[in-house]
Amino acid sequence: MSHNIITTPRYGNSFKDKLYLPAIYEGCKVTFKHFFTNLNDSNTVDTLEYPEEQPRDITSRYRGLHRLTHRPDDTIACVACFMCATACPSDCIFIEATERDDNKDEKMPKSFKIDTLECIFCGYCVEACPCDAIRMDTGIFSLTGNSREDFVLNKEQLLSNKGAFGEEISCARD
Amino acid sequence: MSMASIIVALVAFVLGALLALLTIPVLVWLERRTAGLVQDRLGPNRTNIFGFRLGGVVQSFADVVKLLIKEEYYPSHIKMGKLIFMIAPIITFVAALLAFMVIPFADTLVIDGEALRMQPLPVEYGVFWYLAIGAVGVIGVIFGGWLSHNKYSLLGAMRATSMVVSYELPLGLAIISFIVTYNTVDFNAMVAWQSSTFFGFLPSWGILVQPLASIILIIALFAETNRNPFTVAEGESEIVAGFMTEYSAMKFAMYFMAEYVAMNTASAVIITMIFGGYQLPYVSTEMLIDNFSSFAYVLILIIPAFVYWMIMFMRKNNAVRPSVSTDSGRIFETKVISIFLVVLAVVVDAILLYLILSPNALATQIAVTMIQVIIFVIKLMAFNMFFILIRWTLPRFRYDQVQTLGWKYLLPLSLFNLFVTAIVVVGVNS
Repeated sequence: MSHNIITTPRYGNSFKDKLYLPAIYEGCKVTFKHFFTNLNDSNTVDTLEYPEEQPRDITSRYRGLHRLTHRPDDTIACVACFMCATACPSDCIFIEATERDDNKDEKMPKSFKIDTLECIFCGYCVEACPCDAIRMDTGIFSLTGNSREDFVLNKEQLLSNKGAFGEEISCARD
Repeated sequence: MSMASIIVALVAFVLGALLALLTIPVLVWLERRTAGLVQDRLGPNRTNIFGFRLGGVVQSFADVVKLLIKEEYYPSHIKMGKLIFMIAPIITFVAALLAFMVIPFADTLVIDGEALRMQPLPVEYGVFWYLAIGAVGVIGVIFGGWLSHNKYSLLGAMRATSMVVSYELPLGLAIISFIVTYNTVDFNAMVAWQSSTFFGFLPSWGILVQPLASIILIIALFAETNRNPFTVAEGESEIVAGFMTEYSAMKFAMYFMAEYVAMNTASAVIITMIFGGYQLPYVSTEMLIDNFSSFAYVLILIIPAFVYWMIMFMRKNNAVRPSVSTDSGRIFETKVISIFLVVLAVVVDAILLYLILSPNALATQIAVTMIQVIIFVIKLMAFNMFFILIRWTLPRFRYDQVQTLGWKYLLPLSLFNLFVTAIVVVGVNS
């Protein structure tokens, strides 16, 4: 078995290591290099200057803020089936159903609210929806408001959110 | 007391107060920007007054305002000694501030045969003053740690104290070797000694004459000022924030500022003792006064070059990337500061030209003093930068490693160095 034994090299016992100053010199070389490169041209620093510069790496699979999709004739795609509200692990979707009288479908939501403070952005509602009526492809990652009520999005707000990746209307309702 | 001596004393005092106090916000800003640049970040660069951000220095003043208007909070478990609990940070701060006051900013000014020292405290025993007052600072730390009634504070204070005790010895012994070498306890005389040369071509700076003692001095001063890699007194991974744990608002800021003043003082002592103080290498004060016109000609050329470089630097770095729509007044700021710098350069050049064309002994002396003050400030800031960069380079030592280094390595080395120095000095002088 002796050929399987690996001896880990131990450092720190030579005179050079014990002197410690050469190691400090080596370390300073690294930090000084970074410091002077970045000082000479601050554009080499790869920092996103956030409020002015927006992130450029949001992909189409990114789960952003929710939106409700439309049918091709611009009416709401949702049929108030309560699938999303049932799938929601944090119980943050509140739907009130009403009868639909434009002969497109039988039901539609009278009110559709999402409490984004409760929401954990898991995407289960999107998975659960049979009508492709709710989506999280807006690419919006920051929602601001002054009170808790501002974060409860109603039907109109959700319908006005636009998809950021081209697919505008519901794929399941045509 | 003549008029001139009063003016010089006042100027020296104001200069000392400014250099000690006004450098605090600058040092805090420098620390944060340097940390950013070392770690490939930008650091604070957004706070501004009417669009003037001066690279972010304004952030420090915003921090001061924030600390001042914060609630003064006293932990309710502190029953006794509330007064000393409050005074403790002030002791540390004042000690660090007073220790700075014996550093000479320029050579002794001779006006009408009267020698006027450019020190806020014109004393001839500066080294002793520094050693005595510099060590008082830790008393504030002990008071704070003890009266906080908190185990972390107590541990932090204990660590700080034992570190000061163990590093005071090598520091003192290293300084004694310098005293033996320079044959004086006066900081100004030390600088004068260092303005000569030895072996004919090297400037006789302490770092070249006494390399071992210089390294011990630098290491011991890093430990004295509680800077990395010796920040065991406030190791947040072990003892929260050490002796500062129970402090908040301006009381905390006092400790915080005391740290920076102590760092500034340590830099000043290091450059005065081993880097030639306010002198340029090879150039003594007499040489500067005798050949003032040639130095002035060089300065007249250097200042516009520096201003040009500064403006180019600002144009390149005080700007946002093309992808950002608004530059938040950065171009305007660059323009205003550029105009200010150009005007300043023109005025300084005009004054220097006037001094060359109509030589005046007193004016020349004052100009030389100002040049020396500027050299001192540049060296001071350079060494502060060194302190800061070391902090962002090295990890923190373990507590037992700190003590081992102090007692087992630095103390014998400094004793050995003192021994050799004494033999050499006696041998050379006999």
